[in-house]
Formats: sequence, structure tokens, C-alpha cells
Amino acid sequence: MVRLLTHNLLACHVKGCTSNNFPLQFQNAQIELREADFNTDFLKNFLPKLEWKALLGDTSLPLEQPEMLDDEFLKNLHHVLLEIHVEEGSMTCPNCKHSYPISNGIPNMLLAEHEIG
Amino acid sequence: MPKYLVVFAQAHQEFRVPELESVAQLYNFKISLSDEPEERDPSRPFMIIELESENHVQLLAKRCILIKSIYEFYGRGSTYDELHLRNRAKRHMWERYIPKTSFKFIVAAYNHKIPQHRQKEVVEDFAYMGFMGKIDMKTPEITLGCFEEYVTRNGQTRERHEGDGDFLQVYFGRLIEEGTARPLVQLFDVKKRSYFGNTSMEAEISLLMANQTLACSGKLIYDPFMGTGSMAYPVAYFGAQVMGSDIDGRQMRGKQTTPGVFRAASQYGVTPRIIDICTFDVTNNPWRCGGLFDAIVTDPPCKYFILFLEPTDGVRAGAKRLGRKKELDADRLAVHLMHSDDSPYIPPTRPYELSDLAVDLVLLARYLLKPGGRLVFFLPTVTDQYEEVDIATMLCDGMEVIANSLQDFGSWGRRLVTIRKVTSELYPPPDFSIRDPEVKDETQRVPAHRHFREKYFQGFKKTEEVEAENLSHLP
Repeated sequence: MVRLLTHNLLACHVKGCTSNNFPLQFQNAQIELREADFNTDFLKNFLPKLEWKALLGDTSLPLEQPEMLDDEFLKNLHHVLLEIHVEEGSMTCPNCKHSYPISNGIPNMLLAEHEIG
Repeated sequence: MPKYLVVFAQAHQEFRVPELESVAQLYNFKISLSDEPEERDPSRPFMIIELESENHVQLLAKRCILIKSIYEFYGRGSTYDELHLRNRAKRHMWERYIPKTSFKFIVAAYNHKIPQHRQKEVVEDFAYMGFMGKIDMKTPEITLGCFEEYVTRNGQTRERHEGDGDFLQVYFGRLIEEGTARPLVQLFDVKKRSYFGNTSMEAEISLLMANQTLACSGKLIYDPFMGTGSMAYPVAYFGAQVMGSDIDGRQMRGKQTTPGVFRAASQYGVTPRIIDICTFDVTNNPWRCGGLFDAIVTDPPCKYFILFLEPTDGVRAGAKRLGRKKELDADRLAVHLMHSDDSPYIPPTRPYELSDLAVDLVLLARYLLKPGGRLVFFLPTVTDQYEEVDIATMLCDGMEVIANSLQDFGSWGRRLVTIRKVTSELYPPPDFSIRDPEVKDETQRVPAHRHFREKYFQGFKKTEEVEAENLSHLP
């Protein structure tokens, strides 16, 4: 259930792949929506680490990260970060094209022998 | 500050004080223990602490796994005369209960059983308090507790009630709060869990570890060796969001379609708080940046406690990381790569020495934790060889040990280590370079957890004994 929150934290880590290696691109993604507990503290706590430009999701969020955190914005952010799950498919590195498969919601980020540094 | 009497459960003595301190920090209140070393001896089941308010008593009782109950402290003594003298002086604390409060008396002892007739005498000796309310054994408005503490007489045969009245100390007070966290040990019982493995951490310890992380709502906590998820459930139960990873996805998945970790999480109603579980080797991890987590809690592989069931096969295969024990030469590597598009790809792994893992884990925590965040993990050590400095050998700048409690199994034990990130400086991610085992600095101490697994299988013999034994096999 790769959530968009997790997607926002994962970069390609193949040896030598250090630029343009984030965000990973979803391919053949099968999406499921699941409700999660709304937790303002958690969102505010996480927000400083969020890479806004890499955030996918729906049109409910503004293009630029807003300064003001009103309730509606937090609700929408909660939905995008925590309630959208990618169950199957893969994530591909925009730079080296390494593909990380997702199966039963678990991303396989293991590297092959020649890819580790 | 008002004084309170804490009655501890009979388990994990060394974890008592760290747990009290962690919970006090979590809720941001002050807790004072006595300055006398004898009074703060964690092996004693009764401890007098000072707190600013009774609310703090409730918070401790609600969250500390090792607290049985907390009393308002009236007095104590090495004899009853001394106790009564002090209790009379505290009249202002209990006189409001005199007119019509219903009450109950508990008379109990630690390391001893008080005969019934004397229990009655003890209660009668408190007659001077002159309580006029009725005695109610089922639903009293207040409960008064009187506890005698005896020295341990384990292993000695003795007559029933022998040495009765020959106690070290007797304590007296009014019950404020029964510990309500202790039943969680039953709730999280591994045997009742819908998904677990032979290396799952027992419930009580995993709850104690969760308390060491200061888990609460709003926090994000990471387990880099997630396995079957034992650490995740209590942490999530206390309200934190959890991220987990493991080099072996099979451990987290199990055999059914719904991954095992999620099945067990749903049993505790915490599935929505398990953010994600990912398959990767923490020494080659894809985290985009540092400073992500409020705490890291983990039980690094190299398990040992199952050995009580299967003495020859208990220590789980040591930790693994990506790589090979020996590099392949160019030709063989080329051949290997031709076949390496098998799906799913299973990369080769190499063993990961525990003492290297511990050093790397601290470096990784310094990178991934927020300032003030905690790393909580277990480290097995050989009792004879352990020295305080062993923990220091794995520290680096900006990381400080705040608790180190031993669970003693005799010739070996495991230490619950809590390390705090005390810096807000930015550090680079660790390089996880493979340390050459052949290069030895003779001046450096070899920590007692180094080669733990090998030492375990040698029955913790001294090096000379092992060498002598090896020689004896020669013809």
C-alpha cells in the first residue's frame, strides 16, 4: 500500500544515480482508497519534510505549498498523503530507469549486486 | 513535592527507572527519586518518588508497563512503631477520610507471606486513625495499603511463615491508581497474535521499548529490521505512525495475500497507522533525506532467546546485508549478471557482524532522527566480558546514551539501549563501508557483543578453552 507519503520519501539509490533520481514515477499503478485517522499533529510534524513539487495526487491541493494551514487544506493533504494507496505496479527512476516493483502494497527497493556501491 | 509510593510488578527490575523517566518526559513533567542509592535501588519493588501533582500519578499508572499501583505515601519504618509514629504525624493527609468514607485495608508482603492472624493484628494496630466509615471489601471509596518488604530467601528451605515480622521496611499509604498499562502485556501476547515468527519479540519487552521511544500521537517512528513487526504494534497502539523495512520481504508478508504485518496490526486496530512496509537493506536504503523520524526502534537480527526451545538451532541466522562474502571475479560476475533478470530478483547477501551493525545503526539514527529523537534497540552481550565502555564504542558525536538496562540470562544477556540525538547539526548518511575483519587495532577493546553468535555456539567459553578444544580434535 505505497502511500503518497512514502512515495515522497523514496529516491532511487542505485550506485552512482545521484541526480534526477527523485521522485520515482509510478507505472501501471493500481490504486485503492482507504480511510485513515485524521491527525493534525502528525501532518504538521511531517510537513517540513514534504517535497511539495514531488507530491502527486488530485487537484484538491494548490500548485504551490500554502503558507496558511487551514482545516480544509489539512483535510485534503491528509487524503492525498495517507488515504491513496498504490497496491500493484512499479516505481521507475527518471534518471537510470531502474524499476522498483510493488506487490501487495509492498515496494521492493532491493538493488541488484552490480547496483550497490 | 508530594511523595508517592510506587509498587512495581515483579519483572525486569533494571527497566523500572528508565521507564518512569521516559513516561515523565513524554508527558513533560518532573519526577524526583531519592538521592540515596539504596532508596533508588531498582531491585526493590517499592520506591518512593516525588511528583508535582496527582495527575502525574495517573499518567504514570496509565502508561508504565512495570507499575502495579501507586499510593499516596503516608509513612514507613523498619518497625511498626516507627511507621505508626510517622503516620500519626501525617494526620492532615488522612483526617478528611475519618468521618464517613468507606474503606478497605490491604496487608501484603514481598518475598514473604504474612499469616492471616497477623494480617488482622496489623490492621487493628491502625485503630488510632479512628476511621468511622464502613469497611467495604468490594467497592470501597479508599483503599489503604500496608506492605512489608523482606530480603529474598530464594533457594533456602524454610518453615511456612518463618521469619514473619522480620522485614526490612514496612510502607503505608492510600491507593491512588492501579496500573492500567500492565494488562497490555496480555493483549499483545505473541501466542494470540494472528501473525508472528519464531523471532517475534515478547509482548512485555516490546511494550517497554515502545515506552522508551516516547511514542505518542503525531509522531513518525521507524523500524529498520521489522521482521514480523513486533515493535510496530505497541508503538502504533500508543498513537504513533510507523514505517518499517526489512531486507527479507517474506518476514513481513507471510504466506497469505494480505501481508502478515497488516493482519496482526488489524487485530490491534492499528492498521491505518502502519504507514508502509518496504523491502530493502538498510545499508542500501532509499531514504531521500535525513531528519525524518521521531524515533527508531528495532530488535536487530541475531536472535537468541528462542534457544530455550531448540538449544542447537536457536540463534537466528546472523544479520545479513547486500553483497557477497567474496567478490566474484570478472568472468563469473558476467555470467551471473546474464541470469540476474530472474523475477523476483533475490540478491546475494553477506553476513553482517553485530558490532559493525551496532555502530552503523547509531550513525544511521543520527542521520535519520530529528533532533532530540531516540534510538531504542536490543544488544546481546556476553556477561563475563561486558564492560560499561562497550556501549561507548558504538557512539558517535551528537549521540548520547540515556538508558542501558540488562535483561540477564546468566552467561549472556541482552541490553535495552536508549540513545538520544542531542545535536541539531546535519550529518551525512553513513557510508556503511565494510570493515575488514583482518585489520585489528590492538589497542582497542573488543566489545562483548562482537561475534556474539559465534560465542553463543561456543557456549561462551574463553578463547584459550576454544583453542585448546580445537587442538584436541587434531590427530
